[in-house]
Amino acid sequence: MRLARILGSSGLTFYTLIFFAFIYVPIGLIVIYSFNADPVNMMRWSGFTFDWYKQIFGLKNAASEAALYIESTDQLLAAVRTSLIVAASTTMVATVLGTAAALAVYRFSFFGKRFYRVLLFVPMLMPDIVLGIALLIFFVGVGISLGIGTIIIGQCTFLISYVFIVVSARLAGMDRTLENASADLGADEWTTFRKIILPQVMPGVVGGAMLAFIISMDDLVITYFVSGTSTQTLPIFIFGMLRRGIKPEVNAIAVMMLLFSFTIAAAGLYLHRRKR
Amino acid sequence: MSGLTRRGRARAQLGILLGPVSLFLSIFLAGPLIIMMIYSFLAPGLYGGVEWTFYPHNFGRILGFADPEFEIYDPVYISIFFRSLRIAVTTVLITLLICYPAAFQISRLSDRWKAFALFLITLPFFASLIVRLFIWILILKKTGFINTALESLGWIDHPLEMIYTDGAVILGMVYIFIPFMFLPVYASVEKLDWTLVRASQDLGANGFQTFWRVIFPLTLPGVAGGSIIVFIPALGNFVVPAVLGGAKSLMLGNLIEQQFLAARNWPFGAALSMLVMAIVLILLFIYIHHETRRDDDAPAAG
Amino acid sequence: MGESIVRLEKVRKTFPLPEGGTVTALGNINLDVARNEFLTLLGPSGCGKTTLLHSISGFVQLNSGCVYVDGEDVTDRPPHRRPVNTVFQNYALFPHMTVGNNVGYALDIAGARRAERNTQVGAALDMVGLGGLEKRLPRQLSGGQQQRVALARAIIARPKLLLLDEPLSALDRNLRQSMQIELKTLQAELGISFIFVTHDQEEALTMSNRVAVLEGGKIQQIDAPLAIYNKPSNEFVASFIGASNLFRGTIENGTVTTDDGDKIRTSASTGTGPITALLRPEQFSIANGGEIAAETGRLDVSIRQIVFSGAGYEIHGRTDNHHDVVASIAATHQALVAGAEASRKATLTYDPAAVHLIATEGARS
Repeated sequence: MRLARILGSSGLTFYTLIFFAFIYVPIGLIVIYSFNADPVNMMRWSGFTFDWYKQIFGLKNAASEAALYIESTDQLLAAVRTSLIVAASTTMVATVLGTAAALAVYRFSFFGKRFYRVLLFVPMLMPDIVLGIALLIFFVGVGISLGIGTIIIGQCTFLISYVFIVVSARLAGMDRTLENASADLGADEWTTFRKIILPQVMPGVVGGAMLAFIISMDDLVITYFVSGTSTQTLPIFIFGMLRRGIKPEVNAIAVMMLLFSFTIAAAGLYLHRRKR
Repeated sequence: MSGLTRRGRARAQLGILLGPVSLFLSIFLAGPLIIMMIYSFLAPGLYGGVEWTFYPHNFGRILGFADPEFEIYDPVYISIFFRSLRIAVTTVLITLLICYPAAFQISRLSDRWKAFALFLITLPFFASLIVRLFIWILILKKTGFINTALESLGWIDHPLEMIYTDGAVILGMVYIFIPFMFLPVYASVEKLDWTLVRASQDLGANGFQTFWRVIFPLTLPGVAGGSIIVFIPALGNFVVPAVLGGAKSLMLGNLIEQQFLAARNWPFGAALSMLVMAIVLILLFIYIHHETRRDDDAPAAG
Repeated sequence: MGESIVRLEKVRKTFPLPEGGTVTALGNINLDVARNEFLTLLGPSGCGKTTLLHSISGFVQLNSGCVYVDGEDVTDRPPHRRPVNTVFQNYALFPHMTVGNNVGYALDIAGARRAERNTQVGAALDMVGLGGLEKRLPRQLSGGQQQRVALARAIIARPKLLLLDEPLSALDRNLRQSMQIELKTLQAELGISFIFVTHDQEEALTMSNRVAVLEGGKIQQIDAPLAIYNKPSNEFVASFIGASNLFRGTIENGTVTTDDGDKIRTSASTGTGPITALLRPEQFSIANGGEIAAETGRLDVSIRQIVFSGAGYEIHGRTDNHHDVVASIAATHQALVAGAEASRKATLTYDPAAVHLIATEGARS
């Protein structure tokens, strides 16, 4: 048995292919079948159609089952809008607070710094259901009514950690003597911050913000517990649809969402690689 | 002039940077966790909510011994706990078995392909979780892709029961957690010094011995890290069983959700959450303890 | 204090240790640096030389003592308000700025006008031989070029004093030697004082007007290179710089008798008591078997090892009293060396006037 050699050789590229197939074939399937015309069995191919895409944009109501589908367009758009508002707000708050915390931990030594650093990892490592129900108990107990505000607050509690970690990683790679060099050449602390630290940490801040935005758009568990009955984000909307029973346009929505997050992620990863 | 004012200014800057985030997290993170802890020791209210009396039976109920005056021994919750544990551990093992060889394969690629492979593995992490699970409904359900394909080939007469089983839940979790396992494992595989493998063979070890005595121990940190990162969200998961699992595939996460949205027994739900968190914290503590000891053992650099 | 550009008075700096207690990096240092002087701070790592440099540039806050630059007390001034600039060890070029913006940084901070600033950036880059590279990024340059950019950036604002923190240590040997010459030339052209930190004794001796040898947070000796080499003031300086043969003993009637029994003749006529005699290896000759003049010093050794070093031979010998001695013999005496190698014995001679006497450590303080 030549286990070590097998692990080391490139002879198992077949395995690698299967590995990637496992990840991407399902995604490919959903993309293909989102153009399937069969309205009853979504996985039995019966012709090509754009109908489901037209429907989610409200361009076309299916003639026969119009009554069944018409509700989704308005609700879908409302959910998309809520998701965007939530994601934009949380991204802003989490980016500012997370970056500030990262800068503080980087620049200053203070009592309990180690503890603080560990503390900022906790929300990320905690099972999201625990955080979700803790927040639910808290909001109800304190008497804050559930809605878009509680969603934003709830998501921020863990998104701050993501931004903190991304920005800290960037700061950790920075050369501290650059600050000395700047001061040596006559720049005061504020100028050094503006001209040396900020431009260098900026890619980290942008990366952290993008990550926060994507995770916020996708968050299901925390949002599920603190959203209340009247507010729906996009993942919650789809989760509800899946629990009620699946209609063909979910396929199209899913493909649109994949396209959206893949575009942002690919752009982010590309920028990240170029900045280095 | 400087000593005091310079220090004073630094204090002010620190306050501005750290003040808001500390305030936010102590109100909206520490606060809720503390309240949840308190709730787990209170009696459930009749229509949801709590009654402010000390009530230790929430934890007893998990083990089957609820309030002895009202209820008889009922092991349903402890069995849900063990099934969650079993499903989470199975998920970890399968993810590891898939990712470990793949990590070796990819670490041997040329730099260009390596970067591309890593990009492909990271990408799904950013895609919507609910969408990725939804795909598997379409594939596994009675009229889904697999059943339709097998029927049209004439290989089966009746659709296979795939969805709403433990298997479907495990498959769904494996699918969404692959990046979590892959990246830490890959990081330690990438660091592996292949001259050590050659040295081992030179000293007479066969392939299996070399793997078991050299390769595996050296990649263990990544394996442990990846396993913990997968285990944590798997144990308390409620989305995957809700989407792919049946009524019989209840996991801890669903049980907790029910206490808040259906059964309205908040203290019991809080107690269950405390249990999940305690397990996670213990695991993390063991892991961090081991990692720091490993670091301490290493000779100081320089 | 017209003539001195930098004056340190009783400068003291301690650092807390992680395991408690403190370490003294600088213990009551007094130092004067003259205008146009090229002063080198030389010492092993951890001797305090970088801390001394930082106390002038302002990156450490002193426990006590004063720092004057050009007659002004700058002790409490932050680094950005001191008229000195630094060339950092790893250059510390701003990676996100072009070469031009790196070099022009100090002028931009000072609010210089655009046209004026660009001219000066060009001039500074020309001066270090990098004219026209303004638009490049630091990472696109070689190590030597980055070094020059760091230099241009530090001199553009015409500081009263340039501090160089082991600037050549990252360069390879050939590049380092040509940069040493360039730095000397540049210093003469600019007409400002340089304080140069290094742990390389050869570098220190070649470049400087004066060398300050540091050890244990104290200046052991500050003097011209030749004096440092020939007349070290203590055993540390003697053994840190160059190879040395030290003979500890007592002096009487001009002869040092070591505790082992070896006798070293000196030209001293008076004095008695404990003393250490220093003989550099190249001060020895090898006797050719003829008559040795009465006034010449001699040392009979058995040969342990002979090493050919290109310019000559290094004879490692041992006296009858078990004291190890190193002698450098020019390659022209090849026949004598061969004879010594065959007989495993040699007689080394020296001029008693060349023997330098150092107060013995214990007796000194």
